[in-house]
Amino acid sequence: MGIYLTRRLLQSLLVVFGVTLVTFLTLHLAGDPTYLYVSDRASDEEIAEIRTRLGFDRPLTEQYIQFMTNVARGDFGNSLVSRTPAMDLILERLPATLELTIFAMVFALSLSIPIGIISATRRGTVTDGGVMLFAIFGQSVPSFWLGIMLILIVGLQWRILPISGHVPLLDPLLAGDLSTFVNNIPEAIRHLIMPGITIGVFSLSRNARLVRSAMLEVQSQDYIRTARAKGLRDRLVITRHALRNALLPLVTIIGLELGFLLSGVVVVETVFSWPGVGRLVFNSINQRDIPVVQAAVIVFSFMFVASNLIVDLLYTRLDPRVRLH
Amino acid sequence: MAEQSLEIPGAGTAAPVPVTTLQTQPSVWRRAGGSILRARWPILALIILSIVIFTAVFGPNVAPKDPNRVNPIVRLTPPMEPDRNGEIEYPLGTDGLGRDVLSRLIYGARVSVLVGFFAVAIGGLLGTTLGILSGYLGGTADDVIMRLVDIQLAFPFILLAIMVLVVLGPGVLNLVLVLGIGQWVTYARIARAETISQREKEYVEAARSMGMHTARIMFRSILPNILAPLIVIASFNVASVILAEASLSFLGLGVPPTVPTWGQMLAESRDQLIGGNWWLAIYPGMAIMLTVLSLNILGDWLRDFLDPRLRGAN
Amino acid sequence: MYLTLKLRVLIAVLILALLPLVVSAQAPGPDETTLIVAQSTDVTSLDPPQVGARPESNVVAHLFGNLYDIDVAGNITPSLAEDVRVSEDGTEYTFTLREGLTCHNGEPLTAEDVVYTFQRAADPELAFTGNTPGFVFSSMGYVDARVDGELEPTIIIDARNSIALGLITEVRIYCMDTYEAMTLEEAANNPVGSGPYRFVEWVRDDYLLMEKWDDYALFDPDTFEQIVWRVIPEASTRVAELIAGNVDIITNVLPDQHDAVNNSGVAEIQAVQGFRRIFIGFNFTDNVEGLPGAEEVQDPAVRVALQYAVDVPTICAARLGVECERANGMVNAPNNHPELEPYPYDPEQAEALLDEAGYPRDENGVRFEMILQGGRNRYLNDEAVILTICQYLDDIGVQTDCQIQDFNTEFIPALVSQQAGPMYFVGSGGGNWNPLYEMADLAGTDSNPNYGRWFNEEWFSSWDRLAEVGNPEEEREIVLNMLEIFYNDPPWLMLYFQPDFYGVSTRLAWEGRRDEKLYVQDATLR
Repeated sequence: MGIYLTRRLLQSLLVVFGVTLVTFLTLHLAGDPTYLYVSDRASDEEIAEIRTRLGFDRPLTEQYIQFMTNVARGDFGNSLVSRTPAMDLILERLPATLELTIFAMVFALSLSIPIGIISATRRGTVTDGGVMLFAIFGQSVPSFWLGIMLILIVGLQWRILPISGHVPLLDPLLAGDLSTFVNNIPEAIRHLIMPGITIGVFSLSRNARLVRSAMLEVQSQDYIRTARAKGLRDRLVITRHALRNALLPLVTIIGLELGFLLSGVVVVETVFSWPGVGRLVFNSINQRDIPVVQAAVIVFSFMFVASNLIVDLLYTRLDPRVRLH
Repeated sequence: MAEQSLEIPGAGTAAPVPVTTLQTQPSVWRRAGGSILRARWPILALIILSIVIFTAVFGPNVAPKDPNRVNPIVRLTPPMEPDRNGEIEYPLGTDGLGRDVLSRLIYGARVSVLVGFFAVAIGGLLGTTLGILSGYLGGTADDVIMRLVDIQLAFPFILLAIMVLVVLGPGVLNLVLVLGIGQWVTYARIARAETISQREKEYVEAARSMGMHTARIMFRSILPNILAPLIVIASFNVASVILAEASLSFLGLGVPPTVPTWGQMLAESRDQLIGGNWWLAIYPGMAIMLTVLSLNILGDWLRDFLDPRLRGAN
Repeated sequence: MYLTLKLRVLIAVLILALLPLVVSAQAPGPDETTLIVAQSTDVTSLDPPQVGARPESNVVAHLFGNLYDIDVAGNITPSLAEDVRVSEDGTEYTFTLREGLTCHNGEPLTAEDVVYTFQRAADPELAFTGNTPGFVFSSMGYVDARVDGELEPTIIIDARNSIALGLITEVRIYCMDTYEAMTLEEAANNPVGSGPYRFVEWVRDDYLLMEKWDDYALFDPDTFEQIVWRVIPEASTRVAELIAGNVDIITNVLPDQHDAVNNSGVAEIQAVQGFRRIFIGFNFTDNVEGLPGAEEVQDPAVRVALQYAVDVPTICAARLGVECERANGMVNAPNNHPELEPYPYDPEQAEALLDEAGYPRDENGVRFEMILQGGRNRYLNDEAVILTICQYLDDIGVQTDCQIQDFNTEFIPALVSQQAGPMYFVGSGGGNWNPLYEMADLAGTDSNPNYGRWFNEEWFSSWDRLAEVGNPEEEREIVLNMLEIFYNDPPWLMLYFQPDFYGVSTRLAWEGRRDEKLYVQDATLR
C-alpha cells in the first residue's frame, strides 16, 4: 500500500507538471504571445516594452522555468482588465462554482444509480425503454438550451423556482458564520436546482446507462447465476453481489466526472448569472484576458488531479484487486 | 510491403486467423443484417443517419433556397404558413433575419456532420495509434503514453478548447482540431486495454514467431481485432462533438456566424425563445437530438451485437 | 418488483423533502424602498479614474458627484459646483463649489479635493486606464489643476476648447484624505463617494448594493432608499427576470422580445432615440491593399455613389422596429448641418454615378467586389442590418462579401489595428450638447476612432482654426464647413442614430436618457 501510494503521488505530480507545460505551450501556439497581452492600439515601442517585461523575448526554456516558479507561488500574473492577481479573482469565485458542481454531482450520482438498477432489472420493459430514451435525450441537449428552457418554463411560466442568481453557502461556512450558513440553506438549494440540473443532466444520463450496462454484465456472470441457482432471493443477489461489482466502474469515473462538470460551468453560469469561475472565464474570453483564462485552466486541472487521487485511493479500499498492480 | 487488403494472407503465412474484420467475414454481415432487422430500432436509426449523411453530402442540391439569403419582409414566418398566394414558401419557417430554416438545417447538417466526423477521425486515429503502441510495446512507451492520457484528462475539455481558440482565433479548421485532439484519450484507453488482451493470443504469438514486423503485427493483425469497440465509442463520440460545437458557438468561439451549423442555429435561437418563436429552436434541436439518438441506438446495438457476453445476458 | 416498496418510500421522501423548497416564499424581489437594475456585465473597478465601460460608469455615477452635469436636453447644469468662470484665453476653468459638501465618510469636500481628484487621475505613476485619463483628459487637453480658494478649484487646459466643460462633467469627484489613505485595491473595491448614493456591498459578478445618502447636496426625498445593480449576462434571462417582476429596469431589449415584455402587464418597453451613430467606415490604409474594394473606396465618387444604394428608413422600420431619418453627417440634431439633405435611397443614381466614375457592370453584372465586415451582438440587430446592407450593395452591382465576426474576439482587434474592411460596420457614441464632441472621432489622422485613417487636408486644418477662434458664431461657421467636407468626401457611409430599448417595470416613473447613461437616481414609484 505504501509503495502504491508513493507511486500514485509521483504520478499526480507528473501530471501537474505536464498540465503546466501544456498550458504554457498553448500560449505560444500562435507564435509570440505578447500581442495577447497588449491592447490592440499599443504602439510598437509599447509592445516591445511589454515583451521584455513579461519575458517573452527570452529563450523558451527560461520562460518556462520562470512560469513554473510563478505557478508554484500561486502567481499567474495580473488580470489585464482589473489589474488584480488572476488567482485572487478565481479563488474569490471558486466557492460558488464548487457549490454548483458538487450539487450537480450529487444530483447526477444519486439518481443515476437507482435509475440504472431499475432499468437493468426490468430490461426490455416500457420502463426500461422510457428511462433509456430519457437518458439519450439528456445526452443530446446542449446545456445552454436546456437552461433557457428551464428558465422560461419552470422559472417564468410556473414560477416555482428562482430564475437566476446565487445565495452563498460555502462563503459563510468558510467565514465561520454558521447561522447564516444554516439560514441560507433553503434559498441556496432553490437557486441551485435549475443550474444544477442543467449541468448534471448529461452526467446523470451517461451514468444511468453505465450502471445499467454494468448491472447487465454482472448479472450474466457465473457467480450471480450460481447465486440465483442456489436460490438466493433477488434482492440479496442484487445488493450483495451485483451492485457492489456494478458500481466499481462508476467509482472510477467519479473522478473524471468532476472535470466534466467543471467544463459545463462556463456556459451554465452565464445562463443563470451564477457568480462563479465559469462566468469569469466567459468574461475573460470576451475581453481576451489571457492570464485569467490560463489560471482558470490550471486551477481546474489541479482540482481534478487532486480529486482523482482521492478517488483512486478510495477505490483501492473498495476493490482489493487494484492493489496488486 | 506492397499495399494489401486487410485480410491476413492465410496461405502465405499460415498464421491461424481468428475472427478478424467485419469486412472479411460475410457471415458477420449476414448476422448483423438479421440482428438489426429483428431489433427494429437500429434500422430506424440507420435510416435517420442515412438521411442526415445524404443531406450533408448533397445539401446544396437538395436545399430549396440559399441558406444565407436575408429577407426582412418575411422574417419570423412560422412553419407551414401560406403566403398571399396560398403557397407554402417556407415549410419550416424563417429565422430572425428572414432566412429559410429548412435550407439552413440542410446546410447545417453538412458542417455539423463534417465537424463531428473529422474531429472524431482525428481523435480516433491519434488515440488508436497511441493506444496500440502503448498496449503492445508496454514498458516506457506505455508509461509515457499513459501519463499523456492522464495529463489530457486533467484538463476540463471545454476550458482547454477555449484557451486554444482564444489564442488561435475561431475558425472551422481550428475548431475541428481542438475538438479532435480533445477526444483521443478515450480511444487510446480502449485501444490499449484491448491490445493487451490480444497481445498474448495465439495468432499474435504465431505472427511474432515468424518474424513479422512489429508495426505490421500491431496494425495488420491486432488492429482489425480491436476495431469493434472503437467503432462503438466513435458512434457515441460524434454526438458529444456536435454538442461541444454547440457550446462553443454559444460562447462565440464556434464557426464563423455566416456558416450555418445546428449548434449555431440553436445558439442564435436563444434570444427568440421568449418571443414565442419556438420553431427556431425546435428544428435544429430535433436534428441534433435525432442524430445523437440514432448514433446512440446504433452504438448500443453494435455493442450488444459485438459483445457475446451481453448477448448471453438476455 | 423487489424494489417497489423501497422505491415508493424513497420517492415519497424525496417529494416531501423538495416540497417546502418549491412552495416556500418567492426570492426577495424589489420592494417599495428598493430598486433593482440589471446590466449585462459587472463593474471591474469602482475607482473613478479606472472606470471605462458603460455599465461601470453607470454605477459610479450614482456613487460620486460631478462638478457640472449634462441634463437630458443637453444643457450643462450645476451639480457639486454652483458656478464656473472661464478665463479670457479659454484655458482656465474656475469653479465655485457649494458650501458644506462632504464625502460619504463625512470628510469635507473642498477645492483641494477637486484638485486632488484631477491630479490623481492624471498621475502617470498610478497609470489609470479608465475613461477619465484616457479619453476626457486627452480630448480637453488637460494640463493641471490648482486651488484658488477654499471652495474655488481651477482646472487648466492647453488651449481654448469648447467641449472642455462638457468633458469635465464626466470626472467624478472624491475626497483627498480618504483616498490618500487607501491602497489602489481598496479604492477599487470600497469606494467612498460624494454622490446621491452610498456604497454598501459588492459581490463580484452577482450584485452591487447602494443606499441613499441623506446629506447629498441635491437630495430628493422621493427616490428609492436602495439600489441593487444585478449582473445578468444572458439577454433572455434578463427579460425573464423583468417579466417575473424581480427586476425593475433592464437595458438593450431586443425588438423580438418587446411583445413578451409589453404583454406581461408587469413591465413595458421604453423606446428612446439614442445618440449613438451607426455607420459604415471605409478603410484607407495599406493594410487592406489588394483586398476587393480597397482601391475603389479611395475614390470619393465611389463613396458618394454607395450612399445612394442603401435604404436607411426601410432598415430602421424592418430591422430596428422604429421610424428613423437617415443621418446627414456625423453629428446628432440639433447640431447637425441644417441644409444638407440626407442622401436619399436612389439605386439608379448610385448606378449612374458608378458608371460615370468608371466602374461599369461587366458581363456578369458586377462592377467590382467588396468586403464588408462587422461584429455581431454588440449593436441593435447588427447582424441583420449588415446582411441587409450587403444585399443593397449587391443590387447595384457591387458584389459584396459579407463577413460577420464575433465582436470582441475578432472584429474589434481588426478594427483598432486598422485591418477591418475595406468597409466596416460600427457605432460611436454621441451627444447633443456640442457637435465638436462628436466630430472629435476624426480629430486627427491617427486618432484612435479614425479607424480607416481618413485624410482630408481641409478637414484636419480646420481643427487648428477652431483652437484659435473665440466666439461661438465663428466656431459654428467652421463646424458647418467641416460638415460639408464630411458630406462631400464621406469617410463614412452614413446610416442612422441607434434607438435604445429599455424594459421598465410599470411601477416606476422613470425616463431613459438618449446618451445611453443609465441614471436611476431620479426614479420614483408611480
